[in-house]
Amino acid sequence: MSSEQILALLPILVTSAASVVVMLLVALKRSHGLVFGVTVGSLLVALAAIGSSVSVMPQAVSSLLIMDRFALLYIGLILAATLAVALLSYAYLESRAERREEYYILLLLAAAGSEVLAAAGSYVSFFLGLEILSISLYGLVAYRRQTPLGIEAGVKYLILAGASSGFILFGMALIYAEQGSLQFAALAAAKGSSFDVVSLVGFALIVVGVGFKLAVVPFHLWTPDVYQGAPAPVTAFVATVSKGAMFALLLRYFIQLDLYQYGAVVLVFGIIAALSILAGNILGLLQNNVKRMLAYSSIAHVGYLLVALLASGPLAVSSVTFYLIAYFITNLGAFGVVGYLSSGEREAEEIDDYRGLAWRRPWVAGALTASLLSLAGIPLTAGFIGKFFIIAAGAGSRLWALLIILVVGSVVSFFYYFRLVLAIFREPDAGAQVPYPSASLAGGIALSVLTLLLVWLGVYPAPLVNLLGGMTSGLL
Amino acid sequence: MILLALVAVPVAGGLLGWALGRRSTLVPRWISLVAMVLDLGLSIVLWAEHPAASIGGGPWIAKLTLPWIPQWGIQFELAADGLSLLMIVLTALLGVASVIVSWSTVRERVAFYNLNLCLVIGGIVGVFVALDLFLFYLFWELMLIPMYFIIAIWGHEKRQAASIKFLLFTQAGGLLMLLAILALFFIHGATSGEYTFDYFKLLGTPLAPGVATAVMLGFFVAFAIKLPAVPVHTWLPDAHTQAPTAGSVILAGLLLKTGAYGLIRFVVPLFPNAALQFAPIAMILGVAGVIYGAALAFAQDDLKRLVAYTSISHLGFVLIGVFAWNTLALQGAIVTMVAHGLSTGALFILAGSIQDRLHTRDMRAMGGFWESAPRFGGIMLFFALASLGLPGLADFVGEFLVLLGTYAVAPVIAIIAAVGVVLSAVYALWMIYRTFQGRQAPGRALPDLKAREMAVLAVLAALLLWIGLFPQRVLDTAAPSINQLQAGRTALVVPHGVHRDEL
Amino acid sequence: MRQYPIDYGLVLSAVLFAIGMAGVFVRRNVIFVLLCIEIMLNAAGLAFVLGGARWGQADGQVMFIFILAMAAAEVSVGLALIMRMFHRFKSLDTNEIARMKG
Repeated sequence: MSSEQILALLPILVTSAASVVVMLLVALKRSHGLVFGVTVGSLLVALAAIGSSVSVMPQAVSSLLIMDRFALLYIGLILAATLAVALLSYAYLESRAERREEYYILLLLAAAGSEVLAAAGSYVSFFLGLEILSISLYGLVAYRRQTPLGIEAGVKYLILAGASSGFILFGMALIYAEQGSLQFAALAAAKGSSFDVVSLVGFALIVVGVGFKLAVVPFHLWTPDVYQGAPAPVTAFVATVSKGAMFALLLRYFIQLDLYQYGAVVLVFGIIAALSILAGNILGLLQNNVKRMLAYSSIAHVGYLLVALLASGPLAVSSVTFYLIAYFITNLGAFGVVGYLSSGEREAEEIDDYRGLAWRRPWVAGALTASLLSLAGIPLTAGFIGKFFIIAAGAGSRLWALLIILVVGSVVSFFYYFRLVLAIFREPDAGAQVPYPSASLAGGIALSVLTLLLVWLGVYPAPLVNLLGGMTSGLL
Repeated sequence: MILLALVAVPVAGGLLGWALGRRSTLVPRWISLVAMVLDLGLSIVLWAEHPAASIGGGPWIAKLTLPWIPQWGIQFELAADGLSLLMIVLTALLGVASVIVSWSTVRERVAFYNLNLCLVIGGIVGVFVALDLFLFYLFWELMLIPMYFIIAIWGHEKRQAASIKFLLFTQAGGLLMLLAILALFFIHGATSGEYTFDYFKLLGTPLAPGVATAVMLGFFVAFAIKLPAVPVHTWLPDAHTQAPTAGSVILAGLLLKTGAYGLIRFVVPLFPNAALQFAPIAMILGVAGVIYGAALAFAQDDLKRLVAYTSISHLGFVLIGVFAWNTLALQGAIVTMVAHGLSTGALFILAGSIQDRLHTRDMRAMGGFWESAPRFGGIMLFFALASLGLPGLADFVGEFLVLLGTYAVAPVIAIIAAVGVVLSAVYALWMIYRTFQGRQAPGRALPDLKAREMAVLAVLAALLLWIGLFPQRVLDTAAPSINQLQAGRTALVVPHGVHRDEL
Repeated sequence: MRQYPIDYGLVLSAVLFAIGMAGVFVRRNVIFVLLCIEIMLNAAGLAFVLGGARWGQADGQVMFIFILAMAAAEVSVGLALIMRMFHRFKSLDTNEIARMKG
């Protein structure tokens, strides 16, 4: 491996090394503060390492990893989101009796797996990244292992993620047996105008597996349970990083293999998108549990993302990426507030827990309201620009049917987002007020930064749009 | 820059009052009042600087363009013509009135309330001056959220259902409009090579007839919901009834006008052919609104609901006037917009005052208040007469001009709409009869108006009278915009073989 | 030695995969579900080995070793979770632990 390749890989290497360091540290001395500090520090170093990687890209590291602008952008996004999750986790874990230190090992590992996914250029790295991510997530999702919901969520995630890995692997194996290569690029070169049956079955199986990971309808059944049972910061991670990494891979795969030319593929993804938007938003209406509600909302949002993915053309990549960034910020903010208000063994997850929040904790309420408005796509938030971008991409590709469904879904979604907004601004219940934990510095910083970013992207997105135009133009 | 200031002053005032007003309730009230008065002053200065006579050439009197998101052809582009100007002055005036009428009636969360009030005013001014379609859509959506909060937090007993209904209806329309805007954006980009949201560049985009109708309908539905035209009006009675007084004033006086403004500014100039073909349907919708609103107003027991239904009736005239599309009718539509803002705003202030005093809006529990509150009764009668179109007051001028203009192109519509005027006399007088005359409700007396309320209402009354007697000033201001529209119409009719008189 | 066409092997692995998949959806006992996931993974492994043999590459075998390692990791985490579950619920039935729905 040349020094340039090592330089290109530096963000992934730092993250992986950090997980080993943290593990050794835990073996030597258990100290939550120390482990937290090392985690945050190494994530910052990894973020800084992206700066040095930019100078040597694009760089193919062996045939497995492709470090181009696109990969680095997504790696940066993953690292920043992991950093936010880590900051939000500190106070959450402090107030709980479980062992806290191992959490950070798993978090770093999951981040490393996601980074590999974002840079994957072959089925081998796809598989490796996916499994590093999944197996760490089993542990994270079940981290509240004293509570029945935590265990239930863990077992459900284990079974469904395991099965979906099986689907993906078998699909890869079939494609490999037919095509004789594990490289995306080689596949793109080999395929003619159509695929043989075995490869088609292989693609279908991979779609099923990816569908599970992205939690799109009809593969979404695990989502609300896992979101509810997992600790709130982990839910934030599952909703953002894990999905975002998968989406990065899907995007690269779609473009490298130019799947747009196959009507059937576009049709299948179109149906999945439509179902996700409708089912996610309609089921979201029925929820009284905030985590479940956000789970259904995230299903719908992946549907919106698929609409942008299907809009081929120059707008597709940057609109997907912009929306993902907005989605990351928004969901981290929303789940961050849920975690921020959870204390002891209790998660602040019922709508009534938020009643009168605006008058009791105005700043936290402001952050949550901003996130909800952004999810709803109200102007001056990142979510609005993101949704606008997606609709623009769709309109540019004349996907009118999908756009109408998107509009219908959005209107339905206002109902449940604003239900929560309304609860936030209602009079507090005089009798039984839910106790909120005391403010935490790390969480407060994370929430403030997220909210500021949310508004900044909503007001002045031009710099980011420029950046994305450059970043995603050169997919290797 | 003055346009930017017009938007920024209320917003800044609201934020400042909110930031400083965490402890005291008086501070945010004063700050927002000062901001509104300043805004009103600015708008009047703008009006005085550009009296109609001095406007030569194009209708635009002020313009501001700043780069914003150049990659997507989006600019921060504000511009005002006579029409915008009239609407802005109305907005600022009713803004001042809303702050004053909320002075003693809103006692909870005052700082946050005034923030929302200022933001909604800022948003509405933004709608009236934004000439980049993206920016327009942004303001369009933005004014809804503070309005939603005003209804949902400070409204009456069924505020939650009413607020969410309001939000869903208007958002649905808004998103349809967004699709239409984007369709226009891409079509213009494909034909001219320049992708832009600039209103001036999008004017005259060549569109195939079917496409033009589809895209126009996207805009039309959004504006019809706001106006509201008849099949999509159901949010309005609830929202107006449940909103606090100032909320009702802003909803009726200003938010509805954004729909009418949108029709005049966007639907007709951007899609002249499609709008011309659509005109008969639109006028039928308008006349249906006139009759339906008047008939339902008559059937209400709830005072605020009654006034709300009269809005549907009055705005029906605007819809007819816009699509009758000749100088008289357009002048009438614009005067009706202003007059309705003043008279209905005042009626909502009065209805709100009654509710604050009696804690009910049910007219079955009212009656014979004239004895206990003669000044109240006199003023109520004045605005009721204004609303029914008494000659000499502004509403009369507007509706008369609309009828006159419409008669030239569609006599049947004009005759049916004239029946609506008769109906309006019935409901307005019936309302006065049930509240201030008749048998006195046992155990209920209405405390009379206070000086602060009198002052606000006196200004509104004076303006109604002024426009009613000397409408020329308003007409002159709006004239260049109307001429522009007319020019657009004359230019297009002949090649398509549709004659103006066939309507 | 007789050469069998690769399709025979692929059919075998598909059958194995189907058995595993059916088990995952049908069985209620968590241990059996985990076993069935292993069958699915091993079916994929078999197909990879066949592919490697067909193209004369090492890639297939390498993937199989990756799969073995990953399966081991998954089972170890899985069994730990299942122990917690049994400890808490005194049951291995997936239906009996379900508290969340909607």
